[in-house]
Amino acid sequence: MTNSIPEIRDTDFMLVIGSNTSEAHPIIAMEMKQAVRRGAKLAVADPRAIWMSSIADWHLQIEAGSDVWLLNALAHVIIAEGLEDKEWIAENTEGFAAVKETVASYTPEKAEEVTGVPADMIREVARAYATTRKAGIYYTLGITEHTTGTDNVYALSNLVLMTGHLGGPSMGMNPLRGQNNVQGANDSGATPVFYPGYQWAKDEEVRAKFSAAWGVEQPDVPGLNLNEMMKKVGTQIKGMYLMGEDIVMSEPNVGRLEKALNDIEFMVVQDIFLNESCRYADVVLPAAAFAEKDGVFTNTDRRVQRVRKAIEPPGQARADWEIILDVMDRSGYENPPYEGIADIYAEMASLAPKFAGISHERIEDDGLQWPVHTMDAPSTIYLHKGGVLRGKGLFQAVEYRAPFEQADPEYPLVLSTGRTLYHYNAATQTRRVDGLTEKQPEAFIEIHPRTARVLSVDDGAMVDVVTRRGRVRCRAMVSRQVKRNTIWMPFHFAEARANLLTTDAGDAVTGTGEYKVCAARIEPVDDPDVRNVFPGSYQTPVELTAKQ
Amino acid sequence: MSEQTLTINGVSIDHRPGETILEAARRLDIDIPTLCHDDRIEPVAACRICLVEVEGSRLMQPSCHSKTQPDMVITTESQRVSRNRQFSLSLHMADTVSDRTIAEDANPNRLFELADIHGTAGLWPHVDSPRQGRPMDVNRFIHFREDRCIGCALCTRYCDEIEGVTAITLAHRGALTTISTADELSLTDTTCELCGGCIAVCPTGAMTEKAALAYGKPEKELEKIRTTCNFCGVGCQLDLNVDRDANRIVKVTPPPPGTTVNDGNLCVKGRFANDFIHHKDRLTEPLVRDADGVLRPTSWDEALDRVVEGLQGVVTRHGPHSLGFVSSSRCTGEENYLFQKMSRAAFGTHNVHQCAAT
Amino acid sequence: MTDRRREEVLIRIEHAGGLATGVSNDVHAETGVPEADVYGVATFYSLLKHPSEIRVCQGLSCHLAGSGEKIDAMSATDTPFLAAACLGRCDEAPASWDPQGENPLPEVHLTAASDELAINLAGVDSLSYEGLAAAQDNGADWVIGELEESGVTGRGGAGFPAHIKWRGVANQPVTERYVVLNADEGEPGTFKDREVILKRPHLVVEGLAIAAQALGANDIYCYVRGEFGAVRDTLEAAMEDATTAGALDTATTWHFVDGHGAYICGEETALLESLEGRRGMPRMKPPFPVEAGFRGAPTLIQNVETIATIPSILTRGGAWFRDLGRTEPGTKLYCVSGHVQRPGVYEAPMGISMAELIDMAGGVVGTLKAFSPGGASSGFLPASMINVALDFGSLQKVGSMLGSAGVVVLNDTVDMAEAALVQAVFFEDESCGQCAPCRIGTQLVRQAIERFRRGDSDALEHIAEIAPGMEQGSICGLGQAASLPLLSAMKYFPNEFESSVHT
Repeated sequence: MTNSIPEIRDTDFMLVIGSNTSEAHPIIAMEMKQAVRRGAKLAVADPRAIWMSSIADWHLQIEAGSDVWLLNALAHVIIAEGLEDKEWIAENTEGFAAVKETVASYTPEKAEEVTGVPADMIREVARAYATTRKAGIYYTLGITEHTTGTDNVYALSNLVLMTGHLGGPSMGMNPLRGQNNVQGANDSGATPVFYPGYQWAKDEEVRAKFSAAWGVEQPDVPGLNLNEMMKKVGTQIKGMYLMGEDIVMSEPNVGRLEKALNDIEFMVVQDIFLNESCRYADVVLPAAAFAEKDGVFTNTDRRVQRVRKAIEPPGQARADWEIILDVMDRSGYENPPYEGIADIYAEMASLAPKFAGISHERIEDDGLQWPVHTMDAPSTIYLHKGGVLRGKGLFQAVEYRAPFEQADPEYPLVLSTGRTLYHYNAATQTRRVDGLTEKQPEAFIEIHPRTARVLSVDDGAMVDVVTRRGRVRCRAMVSRQVKRNTIWMPFHFAEARANLLTTDAGDAVTGTGEYKVCAARIEPVDDPDVRNVFPGSYQTPVELTAKQ
Repeated sequence: MSEQTLTINGVSIDHRPGETILEAARRLDIDIPTLCHDDRIEPVAACRICLVEVEGSRLMQPSCHSKTQPDMVITTESQRVSRNRQFSLSLHMADTVSDRTIAEDANPNRLFELADIHGTAGLWPHVDSPRQGRPMDVNRFIHFREDRCIGCALCTRYCDEIEGVTAITLAHRGALTTISTADELSLTDTTCELCGGCIAVCPTGAMTEKAALAYGKPEKELEKIRTTCNFCGVGCQLDLNVDRDANRIVKVTPPPPGTTVNDGNLCVKGRFANDFIHHKDRLTEPLVRDADGVLRPTSWDEALDRVVEGLQGVVTRHGPHSLGFVSSSRCTGEENYLFQKMSRAAFGTHNVHQCAAT
Repeated sequence: MTDRRREEVLIRIEHAGGLATGVSNDVHAETGVPEADVYGVATFYSLLKHPSEIRVCQGLSCHLAGSGEKIDAMSATDTPFLAAACLGRCDEAPASWDPQGENPLPEVHLTAASDELAINLAGVDSLSYEGLAAAQDNGADWVIGELEESGVTGRGGAGFPAHIKWRGVANQPVTERYVVLNADEGEPGTFKDREVILKRPHLVVEGLAIAAQALGANDIYCYVRGEFGAVRDTLEAAMEDATTAGALDTATTWHFVDGHGAYICGEETALLESLEGRRGMPRMKPPFPVEAGFRGAPTLIQNVETIATIPSILTRGGAWFRDLGRTEPGTKLYCVSGHVQRPGVYEAPMGISMAELIDMAGGVVGTLKAFSPGGASSGFLPASMINVALDFGSLQKVGSMLGSAGVVVLNDTVDMAEAALVQAVFFEDESCGQCAPCRIGTQLVRQAIERFRRGDSDALEHIAEIAPGMEQGSICGLGQAASLPLLSAMKYFPNEFESSVHT
């Protein structure tokens, strides 16, 4: 996030796009609810009716995957009506002309045809966003988990750059990170392209720096990103080490991956539970849970905060870091003598200028938001204060590209997947909490009442969800949360793995899989057991129940 | 323009339009006790313990609700004010559990904490209000103990104003006033999202954690360990309430409002989804796959050797870039640092990515 | 938008036949108001929570007339009923009321018709609406000036000068304004507003029309006690007659709203909450309704009797009205019940003495022991104070109040602890439960009297601390006055509270 979570309550306009905030980030949703109570305007762009859209001023219920069309149309209106901040653009950005040229053809009327969002609503939202100073954009995986994920992000940042809603409080461009430490894992260099602190691995000087610091010549062969790795399992990739990740649950098109895993020579799984991937493991190492170890997590607003050991791990389980140190040691690599976890952080901070001012000691009472370059520098509450961080903000003109897969006569529905309030990711943790499994015991698929009627599917009946990659059985939840051509299911349930269905087509830049769009169909299953499916946290709004 | 001021206990302070007496007093480090107030929630001035004297006003004024005016003369410490505080405490105690041990059997009890500071007007006969509970509520997390409820409505107001789901409400009236759901349904059958905010704001433990209540150790005997939530990316700070002797997390509580990024709030996962830590399915020993393909328990020594042999074997056969290292965005920053260092420095490949890349 | 839909909640629950499983959900679906919220609102109101049970009044006047025996008899025969705090039928004590029935009212004793009465219940209504015409001709300043000259004060109980309220609304910079008629008469011993509407509905309609005209309000809300079905119909019919006769400005919208069985909704801000579809819990003041009332807009709320004085004040002049009074301006409707020969509503000069009023009501049945001059909230005064002037100022000086002038007369057969208990039960039943001093204090008071009457002579010792705390700490008048009946009984009849065993 360019800005901070506590700033949200003071904002005057929010565009929430591709984020089911109240279910995936409930505490950020509380901030948004507070802002709305205060009078802030809220625009929610989501193919589904969600809790946040129920309190929104505008619900832009777009066709899944048509984000670029919508965002370019918003840009079109802003430019057409002269609402862009010309001075700011001139001082702080490059490349506006190209964007202007590109979005010229993205008229609201044409956008309505593709996205399903009324042209007038697009105009209203564009005006409201452009003319409100404290206007923030909040997004998450509904933007990035597309083959056009990078394009989507560029199109969003174009809006930010042309309005100059950056570098002040309660505005900016705010991706909401899905996991406790997504930010921190990236910060730490757990990505093929970066060393810790976003230092390019392709940069020779950087490699030289780390070769010297670590005492080992650094490889100059570019690494594979996760999406590429998964596709090369069994071919290039012959050995794997999984730390706290259940790829067999979480990766898209997992049926193909499972076949490939049979061709792997050696695999280590390190986890707190015997997860699904352990079926392919040669060694399984028992790890400590978060409450059983020390360290830091970095949250979505770049806040480095302490994780503290409260209890001893069960049996022989050990903290991941202790295990890694042992593996490194036995493999012949000699680490410096760390006296504790704080020393490991200190080593990273010494190699990454962004974190140079952060230490366990400094965050004992309160977290620090990076960048913090020196030990006496304060938190960076919001980025780009007084101008774009690195010289000029670069506009990126993007054209709409259709999702990898689109509905067709054989697979006439668009399947989207996501998270619910009551479970978390592969749900190895949350399905072991009785109160949560009672509230939401099993997988379900949301189907629009009309679609359900056409298919003769009753609410609570079992159905098969079928795509070109797989077939999954789960319960139908007839719901007006989805549009007629769309179905939606959560990915938490091992016995009904949504990722047997999803496509592994990835974004060209990040490799992120298109979890949010693929073509699917529903097949009714003959099963007399019909049960109520609890609708999650969201109730169908009144105006929708009234109409039939 | 000359600055307008007001006076609290003889000390002058600048007047800020819209500020309550309570807020102005805090700026002077003057403590006014409250039972039904929370900074995140609109004041209702129901408990009446925060009444203070305002010159020219016949009745004392609720400091949580009354806005300051220029030239106001406020007294927060006087015999009259103090008598009302003691009256309020005695009054509430007559309406709730008055035995301190029982009253603090689970959650802290603000009534008794305030009584320690301000004293009471004595112990009055218990009124035994005919409030209804919800004994048939089958949800696993939140239990309502009507005998401890003081009707402050912090829970219903939190549910309405902060969480925004309005699953609970004040129901009935007068002595019968209680906290209810629609038709007294179980919370699981309502719009409740089980965030447990009602527990956090309850001053008397009337809203309490079912599991911790069954565990039987009062909160004051548990050790609070501040940490960061391990679910989504908000980074909520939470206090693990630990029974050291039993090596057990009994419950999770939020830090006080206004102190951390989550402002005293937690969601259902942060507050309640911690059973997994003590779950019987936890891996407690290393496993290796033996010759006939079965995972069997082994020693750390053997397991680590197998890991290194296995990985180095692949490198020997296919080169370092045939290895793939996948880390978790659930693990700590240090662990991710070490993991990529292991990949790059110990095994010589950039094939390392954290799981949330896709 | 939901806020306006919320105003429909109470009536929708009523139309659903009262609260039953599923009704909250239905009303939620119809209005968007959260289901739990609907349930919380419904359970606040007796008529929504218990829509069909017969009510038997246990107010003081009915108690004196033997409601206890009536209740015992009904219990013995297993007749389903609810003991109600007060039904506003003190003149037909012991009263009962059937929510499903017709509930005809008996003819009540009134002061004989006279031109020198501001309301003149025995007089004849006219559709000429001369007061309204005068107001239209002369403008708001003149109207408010006449009110000021008349010295008329709020007849609902507070005695607040009417012209200050009117001017308060008139001076607001907001054009959305409301006029609200408070006809939620519920103070035990009081049944005058009921009679004003039944006998002189056009005075009320005209008074309201004058207020709306003078204050620029487009909407008039008449909030009529739920148990007064026929009263509401009478008022609505009068409004329709006046409209048909062309006496009313058609630009004004009239709304007739039923109360749903909550005494506290007679408190003006609780009434507003109820109008807005919420639990009838009094608001914190300031802001006062003249500034932020119904829907947050400037609102004039007046009692029925006050409104009914307006037409004659305007036609005959403020000075005329002022001179009608003896110690304070105007005439006043006094409701007399209890141990008197002719319970009724008597209009007399403000400041008439208790002795004179008793005479008007045909004298005491038995020997006078005590009286309650202004409803439950006024406590008790001893027979020795029979010459006290019944006006706001004089009664306040002796620690009582005129209130709604619901005068209850007690003869020497009455046990004062029992009388105090009856009032304590009333307050406990009708406390909204919002603030602790009232919710808990009323229980403490009632239970202390009960324990005392069971022979615990120390039971009342805490009252000396509890009562002032309630008076100081309660949000509204209910809790502030709730311990007065006991305190005054203890003060004037100390020997009855020394120690005794009651049954």
